[in-house]
Amino acid sequence: MAGAAAEPLFAARDLVKHYRLGRVRVPALRGVSLDVSAGELLAVVGPSGSGKTTLLNLLGTLDEPDGGTLRFAGDELAGLSDRRRTELRRRRLGFVFQTFNLVPVLSALENVEYPLWIAGVGRRERRRRAGEALDAVGLAARSRHRPDQLSGGERQRVALARALVHEPAAVLADEPTGNLDSVTGGEILDLLVRLNRERGTTFLVATHDPEVMRRAGRRLTLRDGRVAADGSVP
Amino acid sequence: MTLAWIALRNLARNRRRTLLSLLVVAAGSVGILLTAGFITFSFQGLAEAIVRGGLGHFEIVRRSALGGSADRLDRPIEHGLEDWQRLRRRVEALPEVAAATANVHLLGMATAGQATASFVGLGVEPERQRAMGFTTRLRAGESLPPVPPLIGEEVVLLASGLADTLGVGPGDWVTLMAVTPHGMLNALDARVVGTYTTGLQDLDTRFLQVPLATAQRLLETPLVADLVVTLEKGVPLERGAAALERLAAGHDPPLAVVGWRQRAPYYRQVRDLYRGIFWFLGSVVFVLVVLSTSNTLLMAVMERLRELGTLRAIGTGRAQLAAIVLCEALWLGVLGGALGCLLGLLATWGINALQLQMPPPPGAVDPIDLRLALLPQAFAGTVLLMTAVLAVAAIVPVARAVRLRIVEALGHV
Repeated sequence: MAGAAAEPLFAARDLVKHYRLGRVRVPALRGVSLDVSAGELLAVVGPSGSGKTTLLNLLGTLDEPDGGTLRFAGDELAGLSDRRRTELRRRRLGFVFQTFNLVPVLSALENVEYPLWIAGVGRRERRRRAGEALDAVGLAARSRHRPDQLSGGERQRVALARALVHEPAAVLADEPTGNLDSVTGGEILDLLVRLNRERGTTFLVATHDPEVMRRAGRRLTLRDGRVAADGSVP
Repeated sequence: MTLAWIALRNLARNRRRTLLSLLVVAAGSVGILLTAGFITFSFQGLAEAIVRGGLGHFEIVRRSALGGSADRLDRPIEHGLEDWQRLRRRVEALPEVAAATANVHLLGMATAGQATASFVGLGVEPERQRAMGFTTRLRAGESLPPVPPLIGEEVVLLASGLADTLGVGPGDWVTLMAVTPHGMLNALDARVVGTYTTGLQDLDTRFLQVPLATAQRLLETPLVADLVVTLEKGVPLERGAAALERLAAGHDPPLAVVGWRQRAPYYRQVRDLYRGIFWFLGSVVFVLVVLSTSNTLLMAVMERLRELGTLRAIGTGRAQLAAIVLCEALWLGVLGGALGCLLGLLATWGINALQLQMPPPPGAVDPIDLRLALLPQAFAGTVLLMTAVLAVAAIVPVARAVRLRIVEALGHV
């Protein structure tokens, strides 16, 4: 068990990823290696185009690397079928996006219920857990509202509740405060930090937000698709 | 939260587009329903006209008269029924049978003054025909008298075209000539009591009717060619056929029971033609609805690429995503089909209330009624059909949705 405990949640080695822009092959990651342990709050920082989103996409199995190896909880992700990758995301990972990406026709509660619904959880259990998740982000009173009836901060709270409702091992958040004013962004960050501490959920946050960088336990800096720095935040 | 509920709400997000799609599906449904209603009414009307026009539901004939083919239409008197009145009593004793009447078929020449024309004639029992509901559409004069004429007082009812050819009308005399079963040429004079129409111009130039006794005297025979049978109201054809077959079994000489459809190639041709038209129109509707709604569904998918990418990112499987898009299409089919049924019902009532008539079809004499039959099974079938059509229309949008690359979809604006 001691050996299992020491296994990093994410273990990436020499990740390489290229994108094609017309006829041009653009490198996005040029050999990124990192380990992320369970319970960490990792800020992935760097200028635009440095590869932050690409790294999160690879770690979240939304995309596949062109080179290198990637393990999640000890399991090699290379060669996993689409079905297994979908299953992994459904059960073990949560996602938060800069533009919230809620389903506009569903209420806040239904948006949070959705990951449980696709996982086949029964209605009553779904409702209970979704209600608790909304409560945890302070939005229980707005559960019947649709996204267009919520403020940006409230939408991101709903998105956070959706990412956490199925109790994933890790949440990957791409610029979660990027579309919010500083006060609202600060509230979301408070939530992330609190949930990380209270629940031990691992957070990987790609960000430009200095406040996120300051409060994360660890900061991974990317530049031109390479790791420029990796260390704890003082 | 259910798949159907989510799909319904997705349809509601762009109400105008959904309404247009529903109207396309509904219009297609109405087209199919009205066509099916008109064709069914036409079939029913034609069948009734043929049965009541003298063919009856069944014909009992000597098997040898058919010459080995049930589709053969001529009934040579050499193969006629001998003890036909006794046979008729037995037939009419069946509970399934309403009545039976005897016929003699004639081929010959008619002359009046200098005019001569070949004819196809039928010896009939007018009083029985009227009792059986057989109708003759008189154009002038009177119908054949109910009582068999005495020798020398023969009468004839000419089809209007034949009367024109001979230049005669009610009250005039014509001479009818025919070859007897013994090969002798026989002739008799008959007074024209009236003229009638068969409904078809070509037949009107050839046809005539005489009383059965006149036909037998012309052919010098006591035989009749066949017995025409009508069933009691509500008795299915299959049951009637079975009863008559049982009665005919073991008869000497052997008898055959021929259904009216076999004796009405015109009905079969019209039915095949209408069915061809129906399938052609159905195919056009199918293609139009598929193309139109497929485009709409594809637009709905393309507009939601980022949302669909998000759903995939948070763990929605390809099959689940396909089900969401497919379910939206099926809703369009069900709701559009139901709307089409409602509109089709109103249109059917409206058209029937207007009592419209259409010009006579080629070769026909009378205009035809534009009436539409109400078919519950057609309404249910249309909803099912439209649901299936929309499932076909969803193929491309579903394929686009399940093939999306998550990263690209998330970056879609």
